Amino acid sequence: MKRIILILLIIVVINSVSWAKVDLVTLPSRDTVQLTIYNSADMTLVRESRALTLKNGKNKLQFSWANTLIDPTSLEMLPKANADKIDIADLTYPPRVRNLGLWNIDSGVSGKVPVEITYLTSGLSWRAFYMGTLTNDERTMRLQGYVRVTNNSGEDYEDAQTRLIVGKVHILDRIAKLARRQYPYGRPGEIVPLAGAPVRMMEAEGRMVMEKAADLALYKPKEIKKEGLSEYFLYTIEGTETIPTGWSKRLLSFDVDEVAVVNLYKYEEERYGNSVVRFLSFKNDKKHNLGETPIPGGMLKVYRTADEQGRLSYTGQSSFKYIPVDEDVELNLGPVADVVVEPKLMDFKTDNYRFNRKGNISGWDEIRTFKVEVKNTRELPVEVKIQRNFNTQYWKLKKSGNFDEYEKVDLDTVKFTLNLKPRSKKAFEYVLTTYHGVRQEDW
Amino acid sequence: MNGNELSHALRQRNKILAILLLFLCSTVSQARIKLVALPERAATVIRLDNPRATLIEEERVLTLQKGLNKVDFSWKGVSIDADSIRLRPLDHPEKVTLLNVSYPPNEAALVWEINSDSDFAETVRISYLLSNIDRLITYKAIADKPETYVDLKSFLVLRNFSGEDFDKARVLLDYGEAFEQGIDHEETKRMLFLKAPKVPITKIWKFDSDEQPWDPEKLENQNVGIPVSYRIVNETNPATARSAATGSGLGEFALWGGKARIFQDDGHGSTIFLGEDVTDLVPVGEKTELYIGDSRDIVVTQRKMTDNRINLIKNNKGKVILYDTDEVITAKIENFKDGLAMLTVIEHIPGEWDMEKCNMKYKKKDANTLEFEIKLPARTEKGPAVKELTMHYHRRNVRP
Repeated sequence: MKRIILILLIIVVINSVSWAKVDLVTLPSRDTVQLTIYNSADMTLVRESRALTLKNGKNKLQFSWANTLIDPTSLEMLPKANADKIDIADLTYPPRVRNLGLWNIDSGVSGKVPVEITYLTSGLSWRAFYMGTLTNDERTMRLQGYVRVTNNSGEDYEDAQTRLIVGKVHILDRIAKLARRQYPYGRPGEIVPLAGAPVRMMEAEGRMVMEKAADLALYKPKEIKKEGLSEYFLYTIEGTETIPTGWSKRLLSFDVDEVAVVNLYKYEEERYGNSVVRFLSFKNDKKHNLGETPIPGGMLKVYRTADEQGRLSYTGQSSFKYIPVDEDVELNLGPVADVVVEPKLMDFKTDNYRFNRKGNISGWDEIRTFKVEVKNTRELPVEVKIQRNFNTQYWKLKKSGNFDEYEKVDLDTVKFTLNLKPRSKKAFEYVLTTYHGVRQEDW
Repeated sequence: MNGNELSHALRQRNKILAILLLFLCSTVSQARIKLVALPERAATVIRLDNPRATLIEEERVLTLQKGLNKVDFSWKGVSIDADSIRLRPLDHPEKVTLLNVSYPPNEAALVWEINSDSDFAETVRISYLLSNIDRLITYKAIADKPETYVDLKSFLVLRNFSGEDFDKARVLLDYGEAFEQGIDHEETKRMLFLKAPKVPITKIWKFDSDEQPWDPEKLENQNVGIPVSYRIVNETNPATARSAATGSGLGEFALWGGKARIFQDDGHGSTIFLGEDVTDLVPVGEKTELYIGDSRDIVVTQRKMTDNRINLIKNNKGKVILYDTDEVITAKIENFKDGLAMLTVIEHIPGEWDMEKCNMKYKKKDANTLEFEIKLPARTEKGPAVKELTMHYHRRNVRP
């Protein structure tokens, strides 16, 4: 649906200035259109070029956007030629008319003038999602990234150059809210004037359409060019796209094979309870056939090649955050039962009692001996990270047994790292002494 | 004015600013009220120099007769601060005297009693504060690709919801030339009024330990954004001084507060939207910082490694009444960006304290705020550029 309408009115000044004849001259259509779609906010920057036929003198250009989600305060028009001869004097939002703007243009030239109109609209969105396919030995993964662009803006954008922005943009007002205002800049004294404008049921409608579009999402892969700009990344989809309002489109963003992965398992009671949680770990760098650009956050569905015929089994899914180049990725695939961590309190005693003048206890030590058993029942090697929190900064630790790395994370947290061979067990012990009451003074 | 004109004037949709000139013959006690004239509004000035109220000044010609004249000034459908209404004779200020002002009951009106030494067609200036007409300022800035400067444009947005149409008025701001502009009731007009090309900017990344989470690892699937701002100083830029001289640069007058939208040249003849913020008034020589968005390519992981009580002082009962602390905070800063960045790190230490050891230089912003300017090199082939800040300090004389 074409909802953005541009009408050029040329005011031909006859004889006296006071009497002007308003004449509708042309209805220029879009020559090109570029969409820059954001995913951190419901916002798209639209840039369209049109050729206006201007007459020497005063011209009025009417721009209307009923039933769209355009932020009228963002409208700007700039001449792309003869810029010094064309003065776009002002933009008027006439009284008692909604979704209409009137540009007053003083032109020193007559004829076709290319102009660029930019504005922000809501209703277009994109998101990234991923598919990971692990090899049978789970040492490497094929990672496919997709982007899905959805148009619920109320406007059809035909043959649009489509660009996507990865990044967190600071915005003050939601564009959809600005688009629904009765008056573009509100009224004096009012903070957020909202009119009873027809609010499109974007969510529900969008989802319905998306389901429909999913069946149709068999597009020839286009290349997506990626480049950094300021704190953001700009993805430019090759060629142009036509996404009618209500539709969405899925495009392949990247397809990388043989991403080396580590099967990482974590145990931390305070965070994950008593289960071991499986993570798939890799790094967004060259070594892992990645590292060209950051990876935008999204949902990853992980499958595993189950047999020789390439049949798949579904492993799990994880949403992940934006990953800068060179950063480690840890994808939480949920709790598992095939790797087990069992910390057991083996011994408890108290010691070093201190008494105050009244003869009451004022200080003591608590000594706990823990045995941690780690079992890998899988037929694959795994890495297990066990984090222990102590609830006090006054502690000492004696450790012994079979672990690979030990690290103090912060004042009351330590981490043990173990590498286990397929179908193997490891165990280690630690003696934790915590200081209480006045004994903390002796720490 | 004939009756037609009057009724036309009265027909104007629920907004009437009418002046009725009444004059009194012979005696004051028995007034014969006669409509003398409904003078048209002449030169009108909309003065928007005070952001809290808009002052309207209009000139009208009153046909005064010798003696006492009563001028009725009424308004309907518009909101005028009645106490703000002033009348000033312009042609014969010595001979035309305003005696008093009276307000009729339950009416948006007032009556001026004017004494005139003889018959005059007197031009008077009426001024009043009118509500619901104001101006906003908005900014649009386009940064260059390397983010060294912005081309700044400022727009004036006139909003008229006063109930009154202004066909032609001189609009005055607090600086610059007045310009002529008509604006109808419920109309909004946006005009470009300042163009400042190539305004230098400084890009700032800021981690404030009171505002940003300390350990990103503890946030599942959420990036901790480091706020990024552009610093702009309202001063004349020597590089564009020539254009400043023609009135298009900064550093000449205070920049009004308003919403600023920032874009960036993408190097392909187009722009991307970087973000938006609201700036306060920026006096000449002062700076403003516009928060555009968050960087997720700089990661700060701050942790407290030690926090112990030392130097305990106890009372007779053996209870601790005063102690010092021994605290160590580390912050690992990783730059995953391809370029270098100046990161401002703000740390807070409450109460009395002294620094035992700190591996980086800081500036004390106030008693409890430390500011570090940390230069982060670009990422290399080997990985992110990493710096580690360690602060070992003691808080002194802490009471439990």
